[in-house]
Amino acid sequence: MKNFYAKYKREILVLIATVIMCVVFTTINSQFMTWRNMLTVFQQMVLNSLLAVGIMFAILTGGIDLSIGCTFAIVGIAVASSCVGGMNPFLAIIIGLLVGAVLGLFNGILVANLKLQPFIATLGTMSLYRGVAYVVTGGAPVTNVPDSFRNIFNGQIGTTGIRYYVLVMIVVFIIAHIILSKTKTGDYLYAVGGNEEAAKLSGVNVKKTKYIAYIASGVCTAVAGLVMLASLGSAEPTAGISYETNAIAAAAIGGTSMAGGRGTALGTFVGALLLAVLKVGMVVINVDSFWQYVVTGLIIIVASYFEFVKGDIAAFMARHKKD
Amino acid sequence: MKKRFLAVLMVASMTAGLAACGGSSSSDSSTTAAGGAEASADSGAEAAAEEETKDEGFNPDEAEDAMTIEDLRAANGTEVKVASGLTLGVVEKSLSNEFWRTLEEGYEKAAEDCGVEIIVKATTDEGDETGQQTMTETLVNQGVDALMMSPISDSNLTAAVENANNADIVTVNVNDGLIAEADYYVGPEAYQNGQLAAAWISEQLGDEGQVAIVVGMAKAFAARQRTAGFKDWIADNNSGMEIVAEQNADWDRQKSKELASTWIQQYPDLKAIFCNNDDMALGVVEAVQEENADILVVGVDGIGEAYDSIRAGKLDATVDSFPYYMAQVATECTLRVLAGEEVPSVVHTPQALISADNIDADPAELINWVAPVYVAE
Repeated sequence: MKNFYAKYKREILVLIATVIMCVVFTTINSQFMTWRNMLTVFQQMVLNSLLAVGIMFAILTGGIDLSIGCTFAIVGIAVASSCVGGMNPFLAIIIGLLVGAVLGLFNGILVANLKLQPFIATLGTMSLYRGVAYVVTGGAPVTNVPDSFRNIFNGQIGTTGIRYYVLVMIVVFIIAHIILSKTKTGDYLYAVGGNEEAAKLSGVNVKKTKYIAYIASGVCTAVAGLVMLASLGSAEPTAGISYETNAIAAAAIGGTSMAGGRGTALGTFVGALLLAVLKVGMVVINVDSFWQYVVTGLIIIVASYFEFVKGDIAAFMARHKKD
Repeated sequence: MKKRFLAVLMVASMTAGLAACGGSSSSDSSTTAAGGAEASADSGAEAAAEEETKDEGFNPDEAEDAMTIEDLRAANGTEVKVASGLTLGVVEKSLSNEFWRTLEEGYEKAAEDCGVEIIVKATTDEGDETGQQTMTETLVNQGVDALMMSPISDSNLTAAVENANNADIVTVNVNDGLIAEADYYVGPEAYQNGQLAAAWISEQLGDEGQVAIVVGMAKAFAARQRTAGFKDWIADNNSGMEIVAEQNADWDRQKSKELASTWIQQYPDLKAIFCNNDDMALGVVEAVQEENADILVVGVDGIGEAYDSIRAGKLDATVDSFPYYMAQVATECTLRVLAGEEVPSVVHTPQALISADNIDADPAELINWVAPVYVAE
């Protein structure tokens, strides 16, 4: 138990903060803490958490993937067009995941082979992918996605109100957790982000690791795109604009270090949960739209203050050991 | 350890403090927003009006001499004299957007009717502000007789319009964004959008029940005016309807859907949701369908997808500002100015609420459209 706390203290602290926020919202409006509303919170965290876990892979290697909002739109358009064209929905899902993987791999090649700064490389692909989305659709949304596709994600378990896409999110996070904590690939991802030179010298294939990170980012984004498509029944070329900012925020709140090398799937999950609680809570207690931006910004800053506190203590301990 | 819990407490107290402060001040700030909307300029039907103008700026919804095209025809006579050899220039936004494509078709129809050459220039995307300015300058240099412009922002064509004014070219601002320096404005009254929606919802609900508003980010004046029109209608008519919530969804379909799902949980008696544009309305429709809720959803713009959704029995209504006819009205007004007629600084173009009852009707009948009568001079 003590080990668990030591390992996941950051995650536990964010979870505690989330619970405190729930209590505050419930005190202001008792309707916040109802089963249905909690379901709403979990449903509304799905997209952001999937995007966040994707971008976390890129951040872990010391990179960033700004193109996720655009990959999200392209996957939606590709799958929507396939389904509307009469393709088997499961085949369409595979195509969607492949599109995400390819777009991610392209980012990976720019970063690993061309040695571009990840921020700049994905800033470029962000515009590039968005442009492709506009060109392919001519600016018009792809509509009338058949229910055979939508029900795969959007259907609910019996009459519980729990939608399949919530389960999809949990499965993605379990897979991400296993990759990061139980496999060699996970170790390599942390190693590359922690110290790229050292990782290279100790025989880690840095290029391959970066490909994996950006492909993972693309695939998680593709899953988010599938969920969005199922949920809305239409794909717009403008979908996902600026979604990357919330994804970065969720990862950061969950303890992912922007310098790379540190972060967990669990942390990103609670980070996304905190943001979803905040978003739904502010609507339930009827905070003015203008103020929501102010509050969200302050919460992100304060939550990230944990990072500083943690570093501070570590530095303090280190100094004392020397003495 | 202690320090970390301190941090947790800080988050908590900040949430509490800000939430409480946000909650209590929400009524204040929304009145400020409404007040600001009255004093500020408004753009027309499209969601893309994204630039901020000064509060004391030009507001076509509040121009004192504003007229509808019907009034203008009644005042000046139905016949429009057209001199030979005129050339009109049009600058608009991306033709990838259905709205602007339809507007272009309207200009083509007008050119055919009046026998005047109309040169249409459009940008490739809705963000190309400088490209649009270059197009306008080119038309000014070509020496067109008049310019009809729908700028991307409220400011990107300012310099070009000043040049046009200096060259004695008649400048007409069509729909949005707004050009304070232009001689004339032709477009729909965004305020009336909200009024039409409120009146229709009231009729459907027997003038009672809870309603909510999904706004687009308030920097777009269309959003403010549409919302203001909706709220004022309810206030002015002592309506039994109660606005229980008003939140921003950034013109984004996914965000508006999520907003609506939260509301549906929170207000089981919610009867109607008015959205500042169709995109957001289509998101709300998905939430309403998922929850099997009995809620009226009304959008604004009249995009093709909204029509399909109304036909499918999902969306309940949209307010269409008929760009096809808007372009024809703009051309008519411009030719009236060129013929030396007195034309008010603002001419409002027709719009109508489309629901399942009238969706298959000919739009020309809905707005009592009478084609202009052009007489060659």
